[in-house]
Amino acid sequence: MLELDNISASYGKVAVLQGISLTVPEHQLVTLIGSNGAGKTTTLRAISGMLRPQSGQILLAGEDISTLPSHLIARRGLAHSPEGRRIFPNLSVKDNLIMGAFLRLTGKRSRGDVAGDIERVFTLFPRLKERHKQLAGTLSGGEQQMLAMGRALMLNPRVLLLDEPSMGLAPKLVEEVFATIHRLKAEKITMLLVEQFAAAALEVADYGYVLENGKIALSGTAAKLRKDSAVQAAYLGGGS
Amino acid sequence: MSILFQLIFSGISVGMIYGVIAFGYQLTFATSKTLNFGQGEALALGALVGLTAINFIFGTIWGTYIGVGWSYLLMIPLVLVFGFLQGTVVERLGVRQAITIKSEAGWIMSTIALGIIFKNLAENIWGRDGLKFPSPLPEAAMTVNLGFAEFRVQPMELAIIFGALAIMLAVEFFNRKTVFGKAVIATANDREAAGLMGINTTRVISFSYALSSLTAAFAGVLVAPITLTGATMGVVLGLKAFAVAIIGGLSSGMGVVVGGLILGITETLTGYYISSGYRDVPGLILLLLVLAIKPSGLFGRATIKKL
Ligand SMILES: Nc1ncnc2c1ncn2[C@@H]1O[C@H](COP(=O)(O)OP(=O)(O)OP(=O)(O)O)[C@@H](O)[C@H]1O
Ligand SMILES: [Mg+2]
Repeated sequence: MLELDNISASYGKVAVLQGISLTVPEHQLVTLIGSNGAGKTTTLRAISGMLRPQSGQILLAGEDISTLPSHLIARRGLAHSPEGRRIFPNLSVKDNLIMGAFLRLTGKRSRGDVAGDIERVFTLFPRLKERHKQLAGTLSGGEQQMLAMGRALMLNPRVLLLDEPSMGLAPKLVEEVFATIHRLKAEKITMLLVEQFAAAALEVADYGYVLENGKIALSGTAAKLRKDSAVQAAYLGGGS
Repeated sequence: MSILFQLIFSGISVGMIYGVIAFGYQLTFATSKTLNFGQGEALALGALVGLTAINFIFGTIWGTYIGVGWSYLLMIPLVLVFGFLQGTVVERLGVRQAITIKSEAGWIMSTIALGIIFKNLAENIWGRDGLKFPSPLPEAAMTVNLGFAEFRVQPMELAIIFGALAIMLAVEFFNRKTVFGKAVIATANDREAAGLMGINTTRVISFSYALSSLTAAFAGVLVAPITLTGATMGVVLGLKAFAVAIIGGLSSGMGVVVGGLILGITETLTGYYISSGYRDVPGLILLLLVLAIKPSGLFGRATIKKL
């Protein structure tokens, strides 16, 4: 469904990604793990068009999207819940979700049941329902994180990119986020997940890639990576 | 007492014009952190196009039946469409490239240049003299009696206040209640994230320029009947509205209205009680005060440095 072929990207002169190749098959959950600054966020940004890669191809359902701007990539069904939440502070919680469905409401993607999908997000995150009229900028960090994830779901995406959906959440909420990811996986949503809780990510994922200094150092089924001694030492040691 | 009310009322009417133009600055600043320094010329062009349109409509065989008032109302949609298109031209030629290459000052020069070009164009088409704009409302002042005070107002001044409020409320309503309007707010909040939603933010910025010039053109036909219409009529208005935008802040519609009223009222009061020669001074002092107290400016740090 999503395929990166030898992607390189940089900020100014600093090369950050040096030939990344990875595949996210349809209906599967793939996770990308790596230490801080490895280039995980940059990889997701390259995929969703927030950053134009210098070389390489990104195929979404067989079509190269590596040169398209974000809004055209979204039209092809890719949703990205970015690092740092990036919700719209001056819009209400509900309007943020409506923005997630912008393409469906404006006829660029099939409309489906937008109201029903908003209710579904509210079922996933009841705290958002209680606050649906509140300006999103006044939500707590954790609530904003839920909103960012809910907003991405509102596209009815073919592929969903999640960048640290549990960042800054209390342990109880981290569990909830992973429960949500499990549920999305059961709904067969194709996902690429970046997570600081590598153990939990490898628990839910089908397949994993380990990113080190802008290169894929290791990859394999999640089960295999969980047992890999190098991965255990570097990313799972004593962690959650 | 009566004269005070009269002055305040005139100040409100002038202030609403400043407010509407400043509102236009704010529309594009919100989405793109840039603004059109040719806003005064957009106003003048709107008024001149309106003048030609109203004379044309009134000049047709129906003119005598519908009168100037209806001719004026029929002219307004044409002026709005013209302003809208003029704004997209400014964005396309003067701003888009600067935004793409993240030039911090390029748009300042290019919008000033476009303003000059538009002004020259207008001078060539309509001449250099101030032209009389037919007034859609009686020009004689009405007497307003508040019991404790009695003062005279020109009907057109009232129309300016209501017209200015109406256009601002219409734009605010659009932004708050429609999906496209929410997309404008989303783009203003976080352009990259708005792109992730599938919003074509380049289009949104172009649209905000269109709306900005539309409001300026509308302001042009609002003031035209009580002033002389010509290519340079917007220069001072545009500058004062810029001061209002800085005083009131470029982030809230409320701010520019309040800023406009403050400036408009201090001007008329100074003009009467001190000297008409000092009319512009209090506004400038206010501007300097705001800049001194909030050195980063209500305008945002990066931009003010470049200015
Ligand atoms: N806007 C930027 N400008 C310059 N360098 C950047 C920028 N964003 C990221 N970098 C650099 O690129 C490298 C990769 O950053 P990236 O955000 O992709 O890491 P990450 O794997 O997501 O890390 P984390 O786990 O901390 O989120 C880092 O060295 C970072 O300093
Ligand atoms: Mg990151």
